[in-house]
Amino acid sequence: MQLPPFDELKYKFFDVNWDAPMNTISGLTNWGKDANHVYWITTVLCFLVFFAVAIPLIYTLIRFKDKPGDETPPAQFHGSTTLEIMWTVIPVILLIFIAVPTWRVLFKYAHAEPNALEIEVIGHQWWWEFRYPQNGKVISAGELHVPENTPLHFKLWSNDVIHSFWVPKFGGKVDVMPTAFNKETGAPSAFNTLNISSPALVDPNKKGGEHYQGQCVELCGASHALMRFNAVVHTKAEFEAWTQTVNTPPKVETRLAAEGEEVFARCQACHTIAGTPSEQIPGDKIGPNLSNFGSRKYMAGGIRLNTPENLAIWLRDPASLKPGTLMPNLGLTEKEIAAVSSYLRLSTVKTY
Amino acid sequence: MAKYLPKTGIISWLTTVDHKRIGILYALAALFFLVVGGVDAILMRTQLIVPNNTFITGEIFNGLVTMHGTTMIFLVVMPLSAAFFNFLVPLMIGAPDVAFPRLNALSYWVFLFGALLLNTSYLVQQIPAMGWFAYANLTEKQFNPTHSVDFWVLGIQVVGLASLIAAINFFVTILNMRCKGMTLLKMPLFIWATLVTQVLLILALPVITIALVMISFDRNYGTGFFNPGLGGQVIMWQHLFWIFGHPEVYILILPAMGIVSEILATSARKPLFGYSVMVYSTCAIGFLGFAVWAHHMFTTGLGAWAQALFSAATMLIAVPTGVKIFNWISTLWGGKIRFNTASMFAISFVAMFTLGGLSGIMHSSPVIDTQHQDTYFVVAHFHYVLYGGAVMGLFGGIFYWFPKVTGRMLNEMLGKTQFWLYMVGFNLTFFPMHFLGLEGMPRRIFTYAPDMNWNFWNFCATIGAYITAVGGLLFFFNFCISLKWGKKAPADPWDGRTLEWSISSPPPEYNFAHPPEVTQLDAFWYQKYTHDGKRLPLAPERPFDPKSIHLPDQSFWPILLAAGITTIASGFVVSDHGVFISLCGLAITVGSAFGWAYEAP
Repeated sequence: MQLPPFDELKYKFFDVNWDAPMNTISGLTNWGKDANHVYWITTVLCFLVFFAVAIPLIYTLIRFKDKPGDETPPAQFHGSTTLEIMWTVIPVILLIFIAVPTWRVLFKYAHAEPNALEIEVIGHQWWWEFRYPQNGKVISAGELHVPENTPLHFKLWSNDVIHSFWVPKFGGKVDVMPTAFNKETGAPSAFNTLNISSPALVDPNKKGGEHYQGQCVELCGASHALMRFNAVVHTKAEFEAWTQTVNTPPKVETRLAAEGEEVFARCQACHTIAGTPSEQIPGDKIGPNLSNFGSRKYMAGGIRLNTPENLAIWLRDPASLKPGTLMPNLGLTEKEIAAVSSYLRLSTVKTY
Repeated sequence: MAKYLPKTGIISWLTTVDHKRIGILYALAALFFLVVGGVDAILMRTQLIVPNNTFITGEIFNGLVTMHGTTMIFLVVMPLSAAFFNFLVPLMIGAPDVAFPRLNALSYWVFLFGALLLNTSYLVQQIPAMGWFAYANLTEKQFNPTHSVDFWVLGIQVVGLASLIAAINFFVTILNMRCKGMTLLKMPLFIWATLVTQVLLILALPVITIALVMISFDRNYGTGFFNPGLGGQVIMWQHLFWIFGHPEVYILILPAMGIVSEILATSARKPLFGYSVMVYSTCAIGFLGFAVWAHHMFTTGLGAWAQALFSAATMLIAVPTGVKIFNWISTLWGGKIRFNTASMFAISFVAMFTLGGLSGIMHSSPVIDTQHQDTYFVVAHFHYVLYGGAVMGLFGGIFYWFPKVTGRMLNEMLGKTQFWLYMVGFNLTFFPMHFLGLEGMPRRIFTYAPDMNWNFWNFCATIGAYITAVGGLLFFFNFCISLKWGKKAPADPWDGRTLEWSISSPPPEYNFAHPPEVTQLDAFWYQKYTHDGKRLPLAPERPFDPKSIHLPDQSFWPILLAAGITTIASGFVVSDHGVFISLCGLAITVGSAFGWAYEAP
């Protein structure tokens, strides 16, 4: 639907930074753009109603203020049928202008587009897991990678409590519900879905993808506020390359990294790195997949930049960064921390 | 035995069955918890004043989020409304007391003990931290192994029982005890709002009661209603909770709407505009309130059809609400408006509630709501409705009826100062939250990164909260000094329209010397004025003997029974000897019930 140029108007409206990382009304996906339109129609109507209430109210208060010393009561009138029919009917008409565009958007995104890229989103206390079942065993944690301008079909469920998946600039928040799992296949018995297209790259030549902020928005326990993630939009070629290489095992070349590889043996009950012995340990791991961890921009559920310093702080005491985290303090020595950090940060792909 | 209980002193308050005294007790308890909930809010805002703040931990913050919401809803706005019901319903309908005076006392004590049980969680440092909506399965033992959830579940269960008892009492009182001539459509609008509120309570509370029993069973006896691993469904809790929770919103706002209707008509010195339409819209809001619960769940994956239908029902609620707003403005139109603290609070209700209503219309669209669900935009919305709306309306009611209750006027200058501090503080806190929401700040986060563009408005919001707190302190100062040294209140300080102004301030224990008779709306106004505004001479006082009026006796069974019920509940919040404690409670409950039943009338 074609609308007046609200886009220019809105920048002047309030002192709101429309480019803020999690701005909710500058959606860039197909869904996001439709939602922006519904938002602005509704907002303009609401402003009209606001003035229709505020102006008569203020006028009444000024005009009919009592005058000191005037004790005679005013005329005691009880109502007006015409007026009351008027302010019943007019709101109904205004509401239709909100309802119709709303319903159009609702039904437009009810079903997945054919050839959509399927992504499984799994919520954990307090980190996000993303699986790409159409691309083999590609698994990412804390970083959602998508190719630009592609229809997506998210399937979302939770491993523990309710979380809510939201990348504001993509739009289409959806709750991630806990579910039962099939005992044999491990498949969830129920999941929510979300059908949106990924946005186009703002800068089509951008290498390493464009990052968008995401966050859990359903209270999910002590570190709810620290359950963030990044959505990274790549060119189609770059995304394809990422899926091909992300499962390449680390190439251990230094002695420090080799020592780190030994330390990591203690981590593999909970964490997996593709192409290493940790993959052989069966069952769903309770910690995030660490394949090509070094390629990730952020760590610990998107709360810190992935630097050796931050990784060391995390390894010394995970709960100091994320209260309540399931990862125990392993009591590693400073030497072991340096070694395992060096090993983990070996990466074969670069995504930023 | 009850005949020998003292008429003054502490014992008289503990055993009172006088609706006016119980109203006062409700109000005092609610104002106490207003301070508790307010301190929660100030602590949260202090934590959020700057990004990455470490003033309090995430766990405590989640506790404050939960307790602030729970306290303000269940322990402040509901009991404060109940205070008005208690004090005013018999006076406005010309009755000597409520239908079941001892039941009335029971509801107060059950409420108070339940509230104290809930707040014991602070003392033992097991603060409920799963949000006031307590979404399953975060409430399961696996994720909340301490007794924090039990405190919340049992506290709400007991407080809910109090509301249910009171609701039945007021429902019966309004339907059966109106004075001669007061047909349903001649009741003051506040009484209509009260009546609809009681119907909502009676229909909504059983749902939450059942849901709370289900959590208790999940936590204590290994059922799996909300445990997907055992075949349960977490979404069921949300349906149950909001089937209660959405009518609850109207339970909070309708009494304030009734209060505001009375204050505006009195202040403008003319009748409420469109009285019958106001009655119908109150009923319509109450009815539609049961058809919109899933608009709290637009992001849970309901599917397009459910979203479309619930959004349509939600939009419909805007119609009767809009009618009310325009009728209030028309009530003022053509009047001679007296600006005093009470009327200023009532007018601010209309303005603030309109803003909250408009952001509510925005959320009625699932498309917009999907973006704003669980962001500060929602926090802004419901604080405009429940704080700018309900609480401002209730404060108006306090200033309006304080003279009737205590026989003294609240200080107007302090009151107006408080009003402006509230208006400035409130809007400085909550208007910026619209911007924070639009910029995507999620609710219930104890910390945020500095580069999200949320810093400035968070800072403003915190300063606003401090300003409001100063206003609150001023109110309590005003309350205390006016109680002692306030100007003596005449029987009819505002030139009122309803029956309570026809008797002395404070009213005598028996309320009306002679049962009143009414022939029209605004009965008391037309005892004072002719239809063309001429002052009528006062009716001569008729002699009567106060002893001729039968009043219910004081009784200590209600407080004992309430203690028994709360003791049963407290067996569930301890780790050891829980069964023993609950059985003791059961014994007290059964014993008191027998005593009650055989008590001489």
